[in-house]
Amino acid sequence: MFDRLINPGSIAVIGASHNPQKIGYVVLKNLVSHGYRGEVYPVNPKGGEILGYKVYANVEDIPPVDLSVITLPAELTVKVFEDVAKKSKFIIPIAGGFGETGKEGKEREKKILEIAKKYNARIIGPNTVGIYIPSTGVNTALVVPERSRFPGDGDIAFITQSGALGLLTMDSVAMYNVGFSAFINLGNRIDVNENELLEFFGSDERSKVVIMYIESFRDGREFMRIAREVTRKKPIVVLKAGRTKRGGRAASLHTGALGGSDAVADGAFKQCGVIRAYDEVELVDYARALAYGKPIHGDRVAVVTSAGGVGVVTTDYIESQERGIGMKMAELSEETKRRIKEEVVPFASVENPVDMTAQASDEDYDGVLEALNSDPNVDAILVYALFQTPLISERLVDIITRWHREGDKPIVVGTIGSEFAMRMLARFEENKVPAYPSIERAVKALRVLRDRGEILRRLGE
Amino acid sequence: MNEYEAKKFLARYGISVPRGFVAREEADIERMDLRYPLVAKVLSEEILHKSDVGGVILNVGSPEEARDAFNRINGIFGTPVLFEEMLRGNVEVIVGVTKDPSFGHAIMFGLGGIYTEIYRDVTFRVIPITRGDAEHMLQDIKGRKILEGYRGKKVNREALIDLLLKVSAIVEENPEIEGMDLNPVLLSEEDAVVLDAKIVFS
Repeated sequence: MFDRLINPGSIAVIGASHNPQKIGYVVLKNLVSHGYRGEVYPVNPKGGEILGYKVYANVEDIPPVDLSVITLPAELTVKVFEDVAKKSKFIIPIAGGFGETGKEGKEREKKILEIAKKYNARIIGPNTVGIYIPSTGVNTALVVPERSRFPGDGDIAFITQSGALGLLTMDSVAMYNVGFSAFINLGNRIDVNENELLEFFGSDERSKVVIMYIESFRDGREFMRIAREVTRKKPIVVLKAGRTKRGGRAASLHTGALGGSDAVADGAFKQCGVIRAYDEVELVDYARALAYGKPIHGDRVAVVTSAGGVGVVTTDYIESQERGIGMKMAELSEETKRRIKEEVVPFASVENPVDMTAQASDEDYDGVLEALNSDPNVDAILVYALFQTPLISERLVDIITRWHREGDKPIVVGTIGSEFAMRMLARFEENKVPAYPSIERAVKALRVLRDRGEILRRLGE
Repeated sequence: MNEYEAKKFLARYGISVPRGFVAREEADIERMDLRYPLVAKVLSEEILHKSDVGGVILNVGSPEEARDAFNRINGIFGTPVLFEEMLRGNVEVIVGVTKDPSFGHAIMFGLGGIYTEIYRDVTFRVIPITRGDAEHMLQDIKGRKILEGYRGKKVNREALIDLLLKVSAIVEENPEIEGMDLNPVLLSEEDAVVLDAKIVFS
């Protein structure tokens, strides 16, 4: 349904510009620099050439296209809209000045929606940064390239009601090589909405997880129906913000006063198997855990570390109900303890956390992970890859990656430190191992994988 | 719909409510066939917090006391008086319904009294709910241990789950319901009984 939006064979840029400060230039520049391979039709009455593309003076002059990006102000957008709709399957009107500004803007929205319906074109927006699809090089977003970075291709489909928050979120993780399959900003959402897109990405094989930033649902019940279906196949994480005011006679009841829309949304998410994030960091952290990791069935965690204190803090976070995730530290089997003590690290503490101390080597990690992987008392492993000690090398990334891929137990990695550690974090990311730069974030990833296990048991037939 | 009518309405769907009787004048009390002790309550749709304004009298032990209670409440408010059998139980909870702008009807469950009012320890689900949803709701509140027989105070979890499912079914069948407060619902080893009920229709 949205194939031609994600992977358009041709794109028209209505309002293309020679001026590098203008969005009509940036969109063209984005298409060039992100390697978009389809046909490009810039439209501007002045004609000429921009970035090597021939510029068309009128929309009438271009052939039919899959996608048109209108980079003109709202008033002009309305003016050209009929000509554009005749030629396009999908239209992205970038400009603000629509429903968000009041009555006049609402009228404009009504007009363009009517026209789009008449010609069977679909609108994303208006008032949107548009879309970014790393794999096809389609990018309509306006940012200063020297000061921000777009992430590469990956497993995460991102649907957002806020364009800026979405771009900032992607920028903040691009340096760790986190990749996205698609980014779509709904803008004022007068036509294409989150439910259709959730359904689409639910069956899109390139997307392993769908994440959403939502302030208000277009149709909450429809969302639940689709989410219930999608969550059987792939995880959904929602960052839900904003509370609607409650009114009416029912507000005189206790239940009405307690049931701000947020509390109801929270219950709805639990019913339809949606995992909730509370900020942009959690949103992507959880997405990575769910896209790369295995669901955890059970609540017994084995922790491997070379730093004792890290193990102690982790234990607190794992077991505490109040400031933690309420899971359990696994009781390692006698066989596991014997193997670790006799075959791997005689100097280690073979209780859980398994503390191998600063004498630990890459091989020691390998041996301990092997022993834990065959321990029936362990449901998941949290392993800290701490690169600050002499016998640990970059090879540890490969060793952990191998256990992540070949072992049966779900694995989450913690890597703490500065530039070197962050480089290793990026390597884990390339290998699609869920790795996190702090104890708390690593432990929360465990919880999310456990929640996913529970959702699959509850809703997955 | 006043409290008595609301309870009649709930009872039609198999929800437990105390046996009750409405006295419009003192003489009605002679015909009252309830087991003492009773509770006497002002019967009015307008008064929301009955006990705060002196509209509730507990432990009415005899027909004489019932007449006194009638005259006191009727004297202040000029309304009929609802007499109900007083029941014993172990835990009070709240069950409610609200209508959310994006999700529509939702059911709420929480522990009663300060747990609801101060700690807001409540959980919602969108209607209709499944049995699994209802069970999940009982697990979802922070005070969940109280429903597991804390300090020997046993409660009938099945009766509570059944009540949640019935409320969900009532709202499905009567979508004109705008909101509902069943507060408190008294849980005992045997049953879950709705002690007070407000239902708002659109």
